[in-house]
Amino acid sequence: MTLGLVWPALLGLLLAGYFVLAGLDYGVQMLTPRLGRDDRERRALLNAFGPFFLGNEVWLVAASGVLFGAFPFLEGRLLSGMYFLFTAILAGIVVGNAAVQLRSRHRGAAARRLWDGLIFLGGLVPAVGWGLVAGRILAGVPLDARNAFSLGPADLLDPFVLLCGATTAAVFLAHGAAFLAWRTDGEPGARAARAGRRGLLVAAAAAAAVLVTGSLSSARHALVHPWPAFVAGAALVIALLAGAALLRAGRTGPALAATSCAAALPVVALGAGLRPFALVSSSAPGTGLRLADAMAEASTLRLLAGFAAVMVPLMLLAQVWNWWMFRDRTGRTPTYL
Amino acid sequence: MTDETLARLQFATTAGFHWLFVMLTLGLAPLIAVMHTRHALRGTPLLERMTRFWGQIYVVNYVLGIVTGLVMEFQFGLAWSGLAEYAGNVFGAPLALETIVAFFAESTFLGMWIFGWGKLPKAVHVTLIWLVTLTAYASAYWIMVANGFLQHPVGHEVRGGVAYLTDFGAMLTNPNAINALVHAATAALMTGGVFVAGVSSYHFLKRTAEREFFRASLRLGLFVATPAAFVALYYGFVQIPTLVDTQPMKAATLRGHIDDLGSLRVEDVQAQLAQRFGAGDYRPPTWIATAFDVMQDVGYLIFLLIVVALVLLYRDWYLRFRPAAYLMLVAVPLPFVAALGGWLLREVGRQPWAVYGELTTAAARSPVGSMAASLVLFCGVFLALGVADVALIVRYARRGPAETDLGGSPGDGQAERPTASLAL
Repeated sequence: MTLGLVWPALLGLLLAGYFVLAGLDYGVQMLTPRLGRDDRERRALLNAFGPFFLGNEVWLVAASGVLFGAFPFLEGRLLSGMYFLFTAILAGIVVGNAAVQLRSRHRGAAARRLWDGLIFLGGLVPAVGWGLVAGRILAGVPLDARNAFSLGPADLLDPFVLLCGATTAAVFLAHGAAFLAWRTDGEPGARAARAGRRGLLVAAAAAAAVLVTGSLSSARHALVHPWPAFVAGAALVIALLAGAALLRAGRTGPALAATSCAAALPVVALGAGLRPFALVSSSAPGTGLRLADAMAEASTLRLLAGFAAVMVPLMLLAQVWNWWMFRDRTGRTPTYL
Repeated sequence: MTDETLARLQFATTAGFHWLFVMLTLGLAPLIAVMHTRHALRGTPLLERMTRFWGQIYVVNYVLGIVTGLVMEFQFGLAWSGLAEYAGNVFGAPLALETIVAFFAESTFLGMWIFGWGKLPKAVHVTLIWLVTLTAYASAYWIMVANGFLQHPVGHEVRGGVAYLTDFGAMLTNPNAINALVHAATAALMTGGVFVAGVSSYHFLKRTAEREFFRASLRLGLFVATPAAFVALYYGFVQIPTLVDTQPMKAATLRGHIDDLGSLRVEDVQAQLAQRFGAGDYRPPTWIATAFDVMQDVGYLIFLLIVVALVLLYRDWYLRFRPAAYLMLVAVPLPFVAALGGWLLREVGRQPWAVYGELTTAAARSPVGSMAASLVLFCGVFLALGVADVALIVRYARRGPAETDLGGSPGDGQAERPTASLAL
């Protein structure tokens, strides 16, 4: 395999891992205040992802590292181009991440309620934000001659982009619910399964709406390969519906597998739809910043590949080990969060 | 304020918060690993309680470290995209390696350690805290390699206005990275040791019941802090000749504050740089000399305090001589003050360069206009979370080991005490 394939594949893997794992965090964060009727239940829900929470969030860190190291000429353009959007996402993650870890360090009910609100916000903002980022990239960005761009909030007021934001929020919410249904027992687990079924149907409807607006709007013209992206989107709808059916049948494990696929599919849609570009122009279809031009020079990539060949399997092994060690349902794991 | 000033303030806010919390993270991790190992070997309840008490403080402190670290990873792309355009082939590599070699593993293992109490076999559990410690220091190494490149760019060549990596080994052994790493890492160890000694002293002053617990903690803290402080001071001086060679302007600005400068003068260096790079002001603010003095004087003061405290450990004089405990308690913030001074000297003293001698800070900035709104947002978020976090650390420290949550499973929120919720 060539470097031109390995690095986009690794970036895709890390992003997909981030969407699947942190996606369930964001879903649980959005659900906890509603599904947990009292403090005990809310703690039980948060501790469902307890041992994995720190490990889930750092997939984003690894993805950002690979983005900077291997795609330096994309990193600056993408982040500064969507400056205000990434700022909001980061602030949301910061607040949510701290709130999850600090909430139960306070003993008082009022302090915990405040943190609960921030936990919800810290799930919602990145869940919507990543959909807006994905939608805007799929629909193209106003690239200038240097392949740089700068968006304002008004650039997000596009039906396709907004629907993408609503879709990721619904997908992550339903994904978190499927995770809770799988991992927790008793009444909160049953409530999570019910919320998951409803959430999955809403998410499927939102994803279908994304497909319809996508085929009718400018997104179709900006994309280099609209059909593979469409197929990934259709697979997303199917995965969501399958998840809903599996949850109805009480098969929470397979349902979580289905929602995990759903959480990862936006990354597949981006890769399949944009290839060989990293960013496409919204004004001049068929042009954009090529992945090959966004990547670091070959000698840098080869050097990094040597480290990655050793470290990435170890990273994955550490995560698998974590999930294996704490595979028991909650109740048999210490409560900390 | 200019847009560039706002962008620099935003980076400094993120990096400054990160640095202060990371100092304690790096300082406490090895101490806790030692406590946990001794507990695993000897199985005494005292050592387990020590591990959990100091581990609890470590974990709460880590919260701010990880969230500011996350934002740090994105700051370069958000606000300084010119840096990636110019040096992406070179500067991105250590940052990428920091994330996949260190940051990722550190968080994964720490999550397992927090939830591993009473669940994982002892040997596995102890291995995890050592892995957390090891990856934390690995992270510091890669960050200093990246920062060392900005201070003294080596191992690359510039073709057509873009830097290309030619000698990765030179980057990895950049004296401006290695010496600064030893200096910062031992300063962090000193911070952790002084923190543990200071909190222990608080409990002696309050005459709490945990005398044996905090006596053992104090001894460990001082045994680590003293040699660490010595190495930190020594490696401060080791950096001066490198500074004179690689950043003559920063060195010249310290004239009157450091020796061995020879004939180096600000006006001469300014004239040389103007001749080499064209007209412009290549002088950093003169107050970096004050930052240097603060770092150095506070450093000496800490060293003096801990050496005296170490002597007083003889026959437990320390526990009977209350002024010593007062001094050590007051000393807890001092390493952070010194660390801020050193950080300002290193980073502000590099100005006006983002990559020393190659790329100016002004040229590195992203074309995004004013960052006033995001600066206010990040400042507000970090400040609020930082205050909440420090308040929690203080509360855990004051309440002592009986009130530790880590590894305790205190009845799953049953033991609610609705009164005195936020009271310290």
